[in-house]
Amino acid sequence: MKKLTLAGLAAAAALTLAPVAGADATEDYPIPRKILHTPCTAEQILAATRDTDPVYYERYMIDYNNKSPEVHRAVQDRIHWFFSMDYAGRRQYSEDTATNAFYEQLAWNWPNWAKIFFNNKGVVAHSTAVCMNYPPDDMSVWVW
Amino acid sequence: MMVKKTWTAVLIASAAALTFATPAHADPDSDFARELHTYGIYGQKDFNAWIGKIACKRLDRGVDVTAQDSAKFVSDQLLRGSSTEQAYQFLGAAMNYYCPDKRVLLTQ
Repeated sequence: MKKLTLAGLAAAAALTLAPVAGADATEDYPIPRKILHTPCTAEQILAATRDTDPVYYERYMIDYNNKSPEVHRAVQDRIHWFFSMDYAGRRQYSEDTATNAFYEQLAWNWPNWAKIFFNNKGVVAHSTAVCMNYPPDDMSVWVW
Repeated sequence: MMVKKTWTAVLIASAAALTFATPAHADPDSDFARELHTYGIYGQKDFNAWIGKIACKRLDRGVDVTAQDSAKFVSDQLLRGSSTEQAYQFLGAAMNYYCPDKRVLLTQ
């Protein structure tokens, strides 16, 4: 009887303490939590980054300007779709891209397509702190 | 008083810009960095060159309209503790090297 209880306890502990698989997404990876939670639009984030991390914005836009109009449209549609989701949806997307390298089709056209939104916690901390002060749908931030 | 102070800063900045204006060289970024050093502005050379060029681009695109907008942008990028005067000195030098056509803004 005692032996069985011990075995039960051990099994329970094994289940409880099972570590998360390394490839899983976290609150901050691959997409930083401030992006998962922000109420801002993609255009507000871009406008904010233009002021808070101008070199990062410049480099992203140089890269962007080297892509085709088709890719430009796809990037805008995809990032609008992303920011239209609530926290749960964004967290799920983060999970999907973390666990499946083939999930984001757009990455085939442009691996760094969302770099300014997803890849740098410091940059995102600056932009999400002030993004609400910018107009929500000023598309001119895509022209630089 | 505030207005007077701003004007003094502008005057000093334009005087400095005129004094230190140099003929074009093969590497404007190095010359720009050297000029910044005379104002006590250090930091990474490439970064400062980016900021100088981006300041010009922002004026070009109308993101910044006045010299004051532009100095505010520069000031936000300089190390904490930098002075308003240094922001205007940076801007004057940036205009000399990267967008001389915008220098007129410093006199308005």
